[in-house]
Amino acid sequence: MRHRVTPWLFLSPFLLLFTVFYLTPVGYAVYLSLFIKKRVGFGPAKDVFGGLTNYVRALQDTDFLRSLANIGLFAVVQIPIMLIVAIAVAIVLDSVKGRAQRFFRTVFYLPYTIPTVIAGLLWGYLYSRNLSPLNQFLTATGRDPLDLLSSTVVLWSVANIVTWTWTGYNMITLYAALQNVPHDIYEAARIDGADGWNLVRRVKLPLLRPTILLTVIFSIIGTMQVFSEPFVLRPLGYVPDNITPNTYIYLAASRDVQYAYAAAMAILIALVTFLFSGIFLRYARLGDNT
Amino acid sequence: MSAVQPTTTTRARRARTIRERRGFSPLQVLLLGLFAVYSLLPLWWMIVTIFKDNGQLFTTPGLWFASPSHLLDNVRKVFTHQDGIFVRWLLNSVLYSAAIAVGSALTCATAGYAFSKYEFRGRNQLFGLILGTIMVPGTALVLPLFLIMQKLGQAGVPLINTPWAFILPSLVNPFGLYLMRLFWDSAFPTDLIEAARIDGASEATIFWRLGMPLVQGGLVTVALFSFVAGWNNFFLPLMMLNSTSLYPLTLGLSVWNNTTTGTERLYTMIVTGALISILPLIAAFLTLGRYWQGGLATGAVKG
Repeated sequence: MRHRVTPWLFLSPFLLLFTVFYLTPVGYAVYLSLFIKKRVGFGPAKDVFGGLTNYVRALQDTDFLRSLANIGLFAVVQIPIMLIVAIAVAIVLDSVKGRAQRFFRTVFYLPYTIPTVIAGLLWGYLYSRNLSPLNQFLTATGRDPLDLLSSTVVLWSVANIVTWTWTGYNMITLYAALQNVPHDIYEAARIDGADGWNLVRRVKLPLLRPTILLTVIFSIIGTMQVFSEPFVLRPLGYVPDNITPNTYIYLAASRDVQYAYAAAMAILIALVTFLFSGIFLRYARLGDNT
Repeated sequence: MSAVQPTTTTRARRARTIRERRGFSPLQVLLLGLFAVYSLLPLWWMIVTIFKDNGQLFTTPGLWFASPSHLLDNVRKVFTHQDGIFVRWLLNSVLYSAAIAVGSALTCATAGYAFSKYEFRGRNQLFGLILGTIMVPGTALVLPLFLIMQKLGQAGVPLINTPWAFILPSLVNPFGLYLMRLFWDSAFPTDLIEAARIDGASEATIFWRLGMPLVQGGLVTVALFSFVAGWNNFFLPLMMLNSTSLYPLTLGLSVWNNTTTGTERLYTMIVTGALISILPLIAAFLTLGRYWQGGLATGAVKG
């Protein structure tokens, strides 16, 4: 009885900020997305209720759909590559001991501590036609330099930056999960004759399963939000406006001042994220574990 | 006789270690080596580049040093370009990130405590709702937030284009709340609370005096993650801050990247600035590394 108010007092600072800076904006975005600009007679354009007009427009906007297709392709290619490397490195690192292990752990984790903007800048210079050490090598050996910032390949140049930043992070998460496994389990498995590849396949991978699912979900969420990397590459190369949904939405809002339309697209992205994460969770049958 | 035994044991242990080491195939060594090279390559390029001027950048091998060195020149340029605005950005980043770290560690600690130690109606639903917002993309939050703050500004509440417009929204940290709840669950036994209540301690005393010292590790972990998130954030300050003098480092460097002086970009100066701006993060990571891993391990295992 005494503690009916107390928990809410403890919750209040977080909840206040959460309500003001999370729930209200999302609610406002939903509200805003239902309005369109309409010119009445010769007067200035007015905001009038438009129902789902903005959503219908988004679903017919080939540039927006293209950005969705881009990010979908990105996710299907980049997430598996990143996570397979992360899992492989985590498993190998788990069996390394002592100083070497600390060294590799630190090195692999470093990229995550670099701000995305700076990672974008660094790689942007490394991709640049005249600066890239790769191109220096190619021209020195008499071959044509590559343009890694041309509109056709830039999506994959962004994918490389994302992979560079996040593989180590995911690897450490997986590695931490492996380190928490009681060693008796491995001993028992060894006594049963599991060794090498068998130990990995029958013991370590199943133990990692929940953590792998977690990293997949976070990667899906992160991928849908890719923004800084292509944004920073823009002045260095030919980055299409709609390379990712977020760059397209940002430009619609800040350059074209189409707030309501941008809000509608942002909500669609949130829904797509929910949908993909949900499908994946259901597929992985983890739904009852949270 | 007793002196012999340890030697045998040591020898046996050494033999075992060697056998385990032999277990590494060249493939595994190659994997670790390649991944290390990949992780370090851009950082190596950055270190080499801060010793060059723009001319050398285009004419000397990209992955090796060039002479004469222009390191001091580059550092001087970073700190004096546009009347030394870089120093301002650096201070802004420190200030914003520190405020975000302390603020979000405290709000996550109190809220996490409520979720961990009290039964109340709608507890699980509320927790689920807060964690669910991790999936809402930045644009869906930041864009309407920008519009709301703009309206507030017109209504006489000046938030937009002030540090608060960046700091306050950054304090909401659902993942930090999740971590803090786990720390409260494991580090502060309910028996202890019951005992303190019987002794007549108030709920606030129990939380501050008894609880907080026990979850110090959690507080540092959440503060560290929030600090780095604040330091690295780009989209929120991009939308909220208009005056160059309020920019954090990330935003400032990106503006420099957009500007050209004549036809020449400020490449080596920007790279030097970039390196300076990641030094605090690397220092924090190297000194507080165990908290990083602790946080990730907790999140990973319980997740």
